[in-house]
Amino acid sequence: MAPFFLIFIFIVLVPQFHGEAQAQEATDLPVTEYQLENGMRFLILEKSQSPTVSFVLQYRVGGIDDKTGSTGTAHLLEHLLFKGTRTIGTLDLERETSLLNQMDLLEDSIIALEETSPTSPAITALKGDILQIERQAQIYVVANEFEAILTRNGARGLNASTDSESTKYYLELPSNRAKLWFMLESERMTQPVFREFYTERDVVAEERRSRIETQPGNLLYEAHLKAAFKVHPYREPVVGHMQDINNLSRRDIQSHYEKHYGPENAVVAVVGNIKAELIQEWADQYFGHLPRGGTERSITHTEPDQKKERRVSVVFEGEPQLRIGWHTVPTDHPDNPALMILTALLTGNRSGRLFQRLVVQDQIASNVTSSIGPGDLFPRLFSINVSIPSPVKTEDVEQSVYEELENLAEIPPSEEDLQRIRNQISAGQIRGLASNFGLALQLAHSTTLYGNWKYTFELSQKLKDVQPEMISLVIKKYFNPSNRTVATLVPIDSCVR
Amino acid sequence: MRKITACHWLPTSLEKARFIGLYLVLLTPFHLMGQSRDGIRYKDLKFEPLSFAQPRADVHEITRKVKVLFLQDTSLPLVSIFARFQGGTIHFNREQQGVVTAVPMLLRSGGSEQITPDSINTLLEQYATNLSFGRDGRSSFSSLNTLTEYLDESLEIWNLLLTQPGFSSEMIHVWRNQELDYLRRSERDPNTIAIRTFNQLMFGDHPTGWTLRPEDLDLEDLNLKNLSDIHRKIFCRDNLTLGVTGNTTWSHILPKLNKFVESIPPCESTFTEVLPIPIPAKPGIYVVRNELPQTTIIIGKHSKVKLDDNAEYFAAQVGNLILGGSGLNSRLSSRIRTESGLSYSASSIWTAPTKPPGVLAAMTQTKNSSTGTVIKLIGQTLQELSEKPPHSEEVQDAIDEISNGFVFNFQSPAQVVSRQMFYLTQNLPLNWLSTYLEGIQRTNAQDIHNIFRENLARNGLEDMVTVVVGNHDLLESELNKIGTVYAIEPN
Repeated sequence: MAPFFLIFIFIVLVPQFHGEAQAQEATDLPVTEYQLENGMRFLILEKSQSPTVSFVLQYRVGGIDDKTGSTGTAHLLEHLLFKGTRTIGTLDLERETSLLNQMDLLEDSIIALEETSPTSPAITALKGDILQIERQAQIYVVANEFEAILTRNGARGLNASTDSESTKYYLELPSNRAKLWFMLESERMTQPVFREFYTERDVVAEERRSRIETQPGNLLYEAHLKAAFKVHPYREPVVGHMQDINNLSRRDIQSHYEKHYGPENAVVAVVGNIKAELIQEWADQYFGHLPRGGTERSITHTEPDQKKERRVSVVFEGEPQLRIGWHTVPTDHPDNPALMILTALLTGNRSGRLFQRLVVQDQIASNVTSSIGPGDLFPRLFSINVSIPSPVKTEDVEQSVYEELENLAEIPPSEEDLQRIRNQISAGQIRGLASNFGLALQLAHSTTLYGNWKYTFELSQKLKDVQPEMISLVIKKYFNPSNRTVATLVPIDSCVR
Repeated sequence: MRKITACHWLPTSLEKARFIGLYLVLLTPFHLMGQSRDGIRYKDLKFEPLSFAQPRADVHEITRKVKVLFLQDTSLPLVSIFARFQGGTIHFNREQQGVVTAVPMLLRSGGSEQITPDSINTLLEQYATNLSFGRDGRSSFSSLNTLTEYLDESLEIWNLLLTQPGFSSEMIHVWRNQELDYLRRSERDPNTIAIRTFNQLMFGDHPTGWTLRPEDLDLEDLNLKNLSDIHRKIFCRDNLTLGVTGNTTWSHILPKLNKFVESIPPCESTFTEVLPIPIPAKPGIYVVRNELPQTTIIIGKHSKVKLDDNAEYFAAQVGNLILGGSGLNSRLSSRIRTESGLSYSASSIWTAPTKPPGVLAAMTQTKNSSTGTVIKLIGQTLQELSEKPPHSEEVQDAIDEISNGFVFNFQSPAQVVSRQMFYLTQNLPLNWLSTYLEGIQRTNAQDIHNIFRENLARNGLEDMVTVVVGNHDLLESELNKIGTVYAIEPN
């Protein structure tokens, strides 16, 4: 074992990470790019470590594409795409379709009545009729057949997620069953049936209760975004507001699907023990004949400059929590790398400035994190989130956060501080190569949002180019009092007092 | 069907051809849908058998008779070392739980005798080395993940923390503050409250039912002597099993491991397990009150199933997939989520420790007004499984899920090594996974019926413990119709 002095020499010298060459190889990964004539893109990376394959199908549609008053549409659609197709999940499509059409007609009647006589008791009666018909339709449904096919074939990690800007469907399969993905996913892309709609809408309402309405931290996050963004759809929750969820109709979903789901708006990443030629062959066979589809998004809302500090409180039965956010830039902005390094400097590890100040030195916080979000494509919020133990005063914590930022604005971090972060970025890149699924996510995400699978790898390189003075510059540029929004979770008890 | 009226559709000859193709699809009779263009349906797909060599770690015995599982992995310039020490919460009394919990956490954060916590952090960040520490009922563990080029330096730091911990008083305060705040926050989290309450009701004053309490974190107890005593008892070499994987060879790593082990002192004593027999609370509905818009429900009871090579164990594994362990297709999820829309998540757990009892339990969340309905649905689901065997198709689906997904047990060498270390500590054979697969594949519907019948209460919900965390005022009258209701005061 090395003698102690070896360690201390390294403390003084701060080694430049020798894995540089390895890290640079990330952009040279042998990724095969394949695009069908209909615009659908495939990224294929052969990795032979285990006979498994990871699939990520990502559509360029997310919460920001929901219409005003219809928040949660993209997310509910994601749920409904597990309900099967015209051949999967049904015993008698003809009879089932007839009932689904009846439900849609009743829903149309409700919408018409709500406009003309919103208090009409007929609305309640019609809603009851719809549920009755859905129950009738259930006799033709083979519940969860889509998932069952995949699960009995050994699929793992079968799931989907919707974020602000995209929707992902993912799973892993044993290599010998990879063809199944193409068969099922092409059918789901072209012939989904939004059956069991009202039941699934209720499931999403329960999801909102589980994830948001019983979780003080997420309630605060929702309130924080709503206060910080006045115009841009980043202000709306991806899961949707409860009232909006309860008003979504099958026609809303059908319309959203028709607008956004199609080969042109889809990216597939395949990583694992499978030949690229085979994937290309199946891509042609199962997706090649599909017409172009999936329109470009058109977000026209531009968040106006914030003129003065905003503050919002959430009263809830919980422990104090503080979120402070500043409007910054999209991911592809030249200032973004410095902002990302700033998150690492403040809270990225145990040496983080804010962790040391608030948690270790002053012991006025139990945890502190920072992030930039909620999406990538539009100007985002740089947020600091602090868990505060009672009876510490939130104002004291807030003041300490500002002091640390002011310190960094005055005196840039040392080169040694940044070198440690660069070393961790490089090591993180290497560790990231270990997981097929992680790589597939990264390839799909970069291509969906930026049209280039190397984007996130190249961004990591840019992070390593950040110099100390750039940190001070971005703090001075963005972290102004008039540009910030402060959200606090106030325990009910303290309100009563 | 996808739209064919896209406004930017340009009828070039190629597009015309596509249009005709799509038109044909539109006119295709329903019974032919779901076929690929070569006419194959997913049900007709035939798959070649998956042939792969199961990677298996070599078992070595190094100095001081310490066992090491080694599996080389040259794919990346990284090395991982896992250390598992016998000795966890069950080996200490109730009053020592705070200190037992603190020790592994403070090994990471408390510095060493020679180096301050800050300097340790700086070093680990410089080398981009990941160190983790933790504990469970019977073991404490730590792992190192480092770039190969910094293996020596990282091992040295790890060794210092494991053998000469600093237990800095400042970091003791920090850890204690964080734990107290975590406890306060978890007292507001309905799922945490439900699980904690259920465990306490199932296991009473047995270590499995213990959770950390604020009084366990008294500063007077978290002193250097107490921390050092427990550290010395657990983190000694006779308790140690090691696992290594990564870009190194056995001949290269062996001398480093020998040196590492030699620096760890021998154990002063061995652990004995004298555990009380857990006595579960009487059946009934235990309500913890909160004011949230959703209720968390856990319903369960003790299980006698033991982790072992016997039909009961395998039947319980498959049975749990059918009940609630296999996502949307399980009976609980199908009934409560898919058919009724009453929950986002409904699942089950069937624990099978080497020393029973374990638990068989269902857990879900639903809006307050559906609480009674959901409890009854869970009761019906359990009752059906105890009254008649599951369908042969769902048994086969569950077996296929495990068999066809078996390969996912070998996705990474680190996964293989850490799993085999677990087998060693549980006195299971290192080829247990093969035994497991064979046992699963032998299971049939009657085995599963038998195991449910033996482990589920004859009188359904009346013989089970139900924990409800929700708005008591709204629920009281409805719950009284289902069973005897006991109110539990929140901590």
